[in-house]
Amino acid sequence: MTDTSPIRRAATQRPLLEYKHVRKSFGAFTALDDISLTIYPGEVVCFIGPSGSGKSTLLRGTNGLDPFDGGEVIFDGLVLPRKPSDVRKVRRRMGMVFQNFELFPHKTALQNVAIGPITVLNTDKAEAEQQAMILLAKVGLSDKADNYPVNLSGGQQQRVAIARALAMQPEVLLFDEPTSALDPETIGEVLSVMKALADEGRTMVIVTHEMSFARRVADWVIVFERGKVLEEGPPEQIFEAPTVERTKEFLGHLGWA
Amino acid sequence: MTLDWSIVWLNKGLLAEGALMTIVLTVLTMGLAVPLGIVLAFMRISKWRGLALLSQCFVELFRNIPLILIVYWSFYVIPILVPVQFSAFTTGLIALVLCVSAYNAETFRAGINSVRAGQTNAGLALGMSQFQVMKEIILPQAARRVLPILATTWVSLFKDTSLVSVIAVGELSHVALQIRSQSFRVLEMLTAMAVIYWMMGYPQAKLSDWIRKKFEVKE
Ligand SMILES: Nc1ncnc2c1ncn2[C@@H]1O[C@H](COP(=O)(O)OP(=O)(O)O)[C@@H](O)[C@H]1O
Ligand SMILES: [Mg+2]
Repeated sequence: MTDTSPIRRAATQRPLLEYKHVRKSFGAFTALDDISLTIYPGEVVCFIGPSGSGKSTLLRGTNGLDPFDGGEVIFDGLVLPRKPSDVRKVRRRMGMVFQNFELFPHKTALQNVAIGPITVLNTDKAEAEQQAMILLAKVGLSDKADNYPVNLSGGQQQRVAIARALAMQPEVLLFDEPTSALDPETIGEVLSVMKALADEGRTMVIVTHEMSFARRVADWVIVFERGKVLEEGPPEQIFEAPTVERTKEFLGHLGWA
Repeated sequence: MTLDWSIVWLNKGLLAEGALMTIVLTVLTMGLAVPLGIVLAFMRISKWRGLALLSQCFVELFRNIPLILIVYWSFYVIPILVPVQFSAFTTGLIALVLCVSAYNAETFRAGINSVRAGQTNAGLALGMSQFQVMKEIILPQAARRVLPILATTWVSLFKDTSLVSVIAVGELSHVALQIRSQSFRVLEMLTAMAVIYWMMGYPQAKLSDWIRKKFEVKE
């Protein structure tokens, strides 16, 4: 008898993130219905699925921005606390990148990247700005350090936002549709920065509709529908040989194969 | 009908004192109504329902009553409520502060609320506390939106200080109207009043326009 379960290379390690029976409702509406998932260190995990299926809700609960109603998140072996002052200590170890960038408009690119360490980690300003310069170079924006967000393109703003998240030296990066608000011509520059981070071995959880990116970069893909996990597996399986009919339909709608 | 403008010149000292009093009243009112407005705005958005309700009642009361009524009301009611005898000046100042701090509270609240929730999330996601988010992210952005409105309020306040003349506070209007009724030089005094108010008010209005332009939010 052959083992038909898909291979998950990272699965020999201790999980970095575990969701156990997570639930979330908005009034009578169940947004997340008993979700249990595991994310291992160094993995790139893509969340895909139709709009409204709960992907963002799961991501926002991961760092406690919008806490779950039931179940728990275990991060690096410890249950995510609920008390605001405790959850903050965990949250700073997770970086988050938003669909609308959410750069701080009253701060320059450099200040946007430096502000996390300065306010949260009490890093010396000069040192934080030196680190910020290195991170801006990493995302290819050294020459834009003194620009305000309003003077940057969408793709550039999102790259600054990625640098801002990296500045806290997070153990996991959470991306919520990082390219959905971008003009088509600037999507590529953001995806290549993300690809480079993946190649460094960073743990990344990415909500995305960029299927070719997910196919190419993800180690593991999780398909959501109506607050439930429809199917999960390596990208080859999800994109080439999905086992669930609804996955095929969803990918078909996106024009995938 | 002959006009005798010398009456204005003869009383220049008194008018200057009145004008100075108008400025003092404006500055003091704003100086008190800004911090009070901030306190009221924070009460309004606080999670303690009692505080929020208290602030809301205060704001909705004083924002929706004519200022002149608040002035009269202060004049007659404050002596009943507190045993201390306030001067007309202090009474007028209290009335102005009650009214303007209610306006300012709404200005600050609107400014804070105008910063979209995503900005708070971005700050919290970095690990900031609510307090740090308020200080580093929300207030600096709110300030840009609040300042032009405060400037407009200032310009209105400068003119509205004339209303406290009804309780004999010796600011420009009161002084000028006193001279008018003693000299019967009605047209001269009213014209002089208009000219002095305009000369003082115009630069302020221009400054306010400049502030509005400079702080226009581009996003
Ligand atoms: N704050 C909220 N209040 C009410 N309903 C919400 C809220 N946030 C999300 N929802 C609902 O929960 C469902 C899942 O939303 P979301 O997680 O944003 O989906 P996705 O990111 O997969 O598109 C949607 O139907 C959405 O309307
Ligand atoms: Mg979403």
